Amino acid sequence: MSDGGSVVEGFADYVDGETAIIHRVALRLSPDRLTLIQPDGGSEDWVADDLREVPDQADPSMLVLSRAGNPVARLYVTDGEISKLLRRNAPALHRRPPIENKPRIAAWGLGAVASVALIIFVLVPVMANQLAEFLPPEGEKALGDATFEQIRTALGREDFLPVETCEDPAGLAALAKMEARLGAAQDLPYPVTVTVLDHELVNAFALPGGRIVIFRGLLEMAASPEEVAAVLAHELGHVVHRDPTRDALRLAGSIGVLGLVFGDFAGGTVVLLLANELINAQYSQAAETGADDYAHALLTEAGLPPSALGTFFARLKDEYGDAEGIYAHFSTHPQMTARIEAALEAQTQAERAGELKDPVLTPAEWADLRAICGPSKPEPDPKIPGNSKGEPSRLGRG
Amino acid sequence: MALRDLTTDYAGRGAPMFRLALKTGALTVLTLGFYRFWMKARIRRYYWSAIRPGGHPLEFVGRPTEMLTGFLTAVVFLAFYIGVVNLILMFFSFSVFKGEAPAYLLSFIGLVPMFFFAHYRARRYILARTRWRGIRFALEPGVKGYVWRATLWWLATILSVGILWPVKTFELEKYRTDRTWFGDQKFEQTGGRWSLMGAMKHVYLAAALILCGIIAATALDEPVWLAASAMGAIWAVLGLAYWKAESFKRLTEGKVLGDAGLRSHPRGGRVLGVYLLGGLAISALLTALLIGLAVGLGLVFALVDPAMIEAGFKDLGDLANLPAWVATLFALAAYFAMFLFWGVLREVFITMPIARHFAETTEVVNPDALNAIRQRPRDEFAEAEGFADALPLGDGI
Repeated sequence: MSDGGSVVEGFADYVDGETAIIHRVALRLSPDRLTLIQPDGGSEDWVADDLREVPDQADPSMLVLSRAGNPVARLYVTDGEISKLLRRNAPALHRRPPIENKPRIAAWGLGAVASVALIIFVLVPVMANQLAEFLPPEGEKALGDATFEQIRTALGREDFLPVETCEDPAGLAALAKMEARLGAAQDLPYPVTVTVLDHELVNAFALPGGRIVIFRGLLEMAASPEEVAAVLAHELGHVVHRDPTRDALRLAGSIGVLGLVFGDFAGGTVVLLLANELINAQYSQAAETGADDYAHALLTEAGLPPSALGTFFARLKDEYGDAEGIYAHFSTHPQMTARIEAALEAQTQAERAGELKDPVLTPAEWADLRAICGPSKPEPDPKIPGNSKGEPSRLGRG
Repeated sequence: MALRDLTTDYAGRGAPMFRLALKTGALTVLTLGFYRFWMKARIRRYYWSAIRPGGHPLEFVGRPTEMLTGFLTAVVFLAFYIGVVNLILMFFSFSVFKGEAPAYLLSFIGLVPMFFFAHYRARRYILARTRWRGIRFALEPGVKGYVWRATLWWLATILSVGILWPVKTFELEKYRTDRTWFGDQKFEQTGGRWSLMGAMKHVYLAAALILCGIIAATALDEPVWLAASAMGAIWAVLGLAYWKAESFKRLTEGKVLGDAGLRSHPRGGRVLGVYLLGGLAISALLTALLIGLAVGLGLVFALVDPAMIEAGFKDLGDLANLPAWVATLFALAAYFAMFLFWGVLREVFITMPIARHFAETTEVVNPDALNAIRQRPRDEFAEAEGFADALPLGDGI
């Protein structure tokens, strides 16, 4: 390894990995080997191909060498010329030791993935479903109230104030009339609380304990009060089926596990949210269909047109497109075309039975409801990107 | 012949550490966190090799793959615990207490022994993978005894409103040190249970001063007494720096390795200086980074769409009309950059200077006693530090 075939000599510190004694050894660097000569005359050859540099050393002026096949012996070379020659000529100085136990790592990896998947996709959902049935109504309400405050804060603006609730008295009266007409409270152990949030999202969702939240954006998008009533009926379906309670319990279980897997680094947050979306989507398509069916029945019973749910979805579809392909994975809702058809089917049946009655609100009341957040507002606040456009409506649970 | 005491050199430098931490940190972010085992191994190798008692570096020989396996092991256990137990706790909390706070509290209390468990096991792994002069360190198995002692001493500390903190620190350090080996030689932690109380004296006095100030201000209804509390607060900061240096000194000098020992003389003022100057440097650099990012964004715009910039400068309000994806992209880039650089700068300006100071002020006494020490077998310990990795223990390296 020395240049030109000559022999270079020097000294270095050597530890044999058997005792803590530092041996000062003489070095002889020949073209194909490094010879260590002990003070007592004994010598040891380290052939060029076996020389390894211990990586990531803080001191650049010291070359720490090990010998392939010997995990403990170390040679601390501070001789500048020998270090330079070794660094330049030793053929395998930076070769890494082979990764041991590859099958073991793979087995543990698979085991970990499988058990986490089992916990998140099977165990936690099953337990959440069971426990949701046993949660007393007051517990559900407490859970819903806690979630509601979190959502209000999360939707807050740059001043970090929670989003306002809309409380115009005339609007509230119109909303109350709509609720009464639907009359879903009979199926529930607690009163239903409908709240309108002053936010431009076209969305509505149900929370545990009979709390339903509608965004101002949805009121603005709806063409008739029947459409709002239809959405309300859909959300009532979720409440009656206790879907939000299940969701909240499942979230409590799964979010911690996901946090565990991805650790506390920056990207973790994004992955966490994405993964949770996916779990949600997988899980609740059946829940959405169930809520739709409930809405159709409830609307028919109240003498309202079930097709309103369909026309509202059709408008969403025109605006945002159907959720298909990869997007459908991340949408909690079955494809809208199917839902629109289901609503029209329910309409046909209701018409045949002759059950349709008066509109849910008078035009004046409808105007009041739309103005529940105060006089109509200008276009959405441009400082909040991504909320008004681009985000498909995630009509359903938050 | 008695050799001279071995002083410790410190070979760590800011620039290489900056490069190493930045490179490995960026890879960690890009791989959604899975590179962190490699990052840890490399950064530890650097830190260990920087500490050179008698001119011979420490070496960290832990492998990223074993850390990964250990982590996976821990995930299997913890996923079950966290998933199922959290869910049940949440259920009971809402059905019995009508709120979520009890669930968080119970869940946390349930995790506390797990933290102590993880802490001891991580220490065992790190020592088993640390060598000096080719000889392995080790920590005996003994996590059960550690968990109940730690639980008890922490409870005592909390019940004594922190007064017993030095006792807790000493007792837990003694438990660990008395089970630590260097080759075939066992360490012993000498010094009594109360030996660290003196290191905390400034903090006690400062706390008393703060308390007196508040009592006097309330009792006499004269807010001017709060000035005493303010002085106490400053004193407390100085006192904490003193505690950090003095407790290190007392614990280190109390460690005996056969006939060899350690001597240490770190200075509280230096510790405080590192934190103050380091904090200042970090905030200045992060601010500069943010400004740099904004300028970079502006340049990109200037190249892509000059008209937009022009409009933006004419009326700052127009900047709000930026397309949503641009704002999102900028926010994401800024977030990741800040996160990454915060970690990197902390290594360079806080962790390394503190390590340097403690290393350079520590000496090995009677080092010829070390020559009798022989190697010990390798502690395979497949679990590595998986539990500490999965739980946010937050004690850096």
